[in-house]
Amino acid sequence: MVLGATALAWGFAQRRRCAAAVDRLEAARVEHARVQERLRDNEARLRAIIESEPECVKILAADGTVLEVNPAGQVLVDADDPADIVGRSIYLTVAPEFQESYRRQVARVFDGEAVVFEFRSLSLKGRERWLETHAVPMRGASGDIACWLGISRDMTARRDAEEKLRRHQLELAHVARLSSMGEIASGIAHELNQPLTAIAGFVRGAVRRLREGSVRTDELVDTLEDVAGQAERAARVIRKIREFTRKEGAGRRPEDASGLVRSVAVLLDMEVRQAGGELRIDLHPEPLTIAADAIMLEQVLCNLVRNAIESMAGLAKDERVVTVSTRRAADGGAEVSVADRGPGIPAALADRVFEPFFTTKQQGVGIGLSISQSIVESHGGVIRVDNGFAGGAIFRVWLPVRDGEAR
Amino acid sequence: MSNPVVFVVDDDAMVARSLRWLIQSVRLDVETYPSAAAFLAAYQPARRGCVLLDVRMPGMSGLELHQHMQQRGWRIPVVFLTGHGDVQMAVRAIKHGAFDFVEKPFNDQDLLDRLQLAIRSDAERYAREEAIADEKSRLASLTGREREVMQLVVDGLPNKVIADRMGLSAKTVEAHRARVMEKLKVRSVSDLVKIALRAEVP
Repeated sequence: MVLGATALAWGFAQRRRCAAAVDRLEAARVEHARVQERLRDNEARLRAIIESEPECVKILAADGTVLEVNPAGQVLVDADDPADIVGRSIYLTVAPEFQESYRRQVARVFDGEAVVFEFRSLSLKGRERWLETHAVPMRGASGDIACWLGISRDMTARRDAEEKLRRHQLELAHVARLSSMGEIASGIAHELNQPLTAIAGFVRGAVRRLREGSVRTDELVDTLEDVAGQAERAARVIRKIREFTRKEGAGRRPEDASGLVRSVAVLLDMEVRQAGGELRIDLHPEPLTIAADAIMLEQVLCNLVRNAIESMAGLAKDERVVTVSTRRAADGGAEVSVADRGPGIPAALADRVFEPFFTTKQQGVGIGLSISQSIVESHGGVIRVDNGFAGGAIFRVWLPVRDGEAR
Repeated sequence: MSNPVVFVVDDDAMVARSLRWLIQSVRLDVETYPSAAAFLAAYQPARRGCVLLDVRMPGMSGLELHQHMQQRGWRIPVVFLTGHGDVQMAVRAIKHGAFDFVEKPFNDQDLLDRLQLAIRSDAERYAREEAIADEKSRLASLTGREREVMQLVVDGLPNKVIADRMGLSAKTVEAHRARVMEKLKVRSVSDLVKIALRAEVP
């Protein structure tokens, strides 16, 4: 009985404990459901944010498999259906030349870094886009990096605009540089034409009067004075040209001769290609430091290259090759040469090409090489012309090297 | 009529002076103007000759001056003086009615020849205009009757028919016709027809 009562009592206690446990279980279940619901809400909210995000949002595995991507991301890779890209490799949409660097960026993120980089993307339908991607590591519950979260932005329009602007600026600089010598030449031509015209008029008028015997001595004397005055005016113009090419001495800085060639290479290349030719550049591997007014010497280069192109107008297009090279001369100086494959310079004219107003061109003024020579000489250098073994002219600019001043 | 004059417009005083000296050597009168504005202010359109104009001038250029002259109805021939590389500009000037152009530095004979041609062309045009004006005033001096007779003669009708139409005697028509020929200073019917045709074209 006692035993029965005890057992009974135990039984009651047991049932009470059971009931409490059930209550606790129930409470836990309710709590769990509430947490679940909150989680679902959170996830739905997050998903809604990501789905409506106008930038491409994607989650990648370490091997580049796309785990998730939002609609904006699907548009960016031209996926008609999420299945076209989800579960597949992101590298399907990376241009070949960026595969390697993209892999490096993925590795960095899985090492715990946040990265920003730009790359060329080729969509599933082959469309080219420039994308800027910001990526961060996403950690799982254990704290390990589980995946990559990346946001990509389409930079194609901006990049196109930048490219257009850059090309435009380049063209402007090109035109400015190449026209400046032409402008100087045309300005000089006008300045000299005026006194020459006046002189011709005075002299011809005097001759006509003298032939007819209808001139008084005093008016003839006045006229001859005018002629002398105009001759002096022409001389002043020429003096001004020489001063112009010499006055820039203060602007000298140590420059690498090859660097000067490099800095105008793009412009020169454009010029040569426009004429249907090819520009070859062959530079000395070590710096050739000269004290130079860069703008002036670049102008000399432009002028020589332009002459080279013009000399080859009669050749077939694939034969029009201009070679610009730098080398260390036998005496240690720097030599910049411009070689063409044109007819070369007849020996009889080799000394005359640098004379002012000497030209073989129909439209030429004959001032380019003369100014080039003044510029080179003002740098303590020498310019001369030879004919190459294989034909064509080679203009060589020798400039003194300032060793120990290399930058 | 006064002597033809070469009007030189050039901002370069020494070039202008040299041009005067050269042009005067063939006994042509020369006036020089240092700017387009100075020439516009001074020129009287009745004056004959030609204009020698520098294309390049500070302020109003030679081309602009030429346009101003045309707007004002000045028809004196213009010869342009162009510098190196201005040939395209000169071609444009010719298209717009310039008489000729000469490139600096010029050949003196060439310049003088062109100036002479321009002056001759101006004189011819002037003579033509005078003749037309003269003809107009003579036509205006005809009476209504004479004009009527003239019209019918030009239409090719014989005197008899004209007389019938106008209700006049053949003799009266004959007299009117003689007066018309005399007033218009023509000798033949064909000359009369030419005048009538010119008069119809305003």
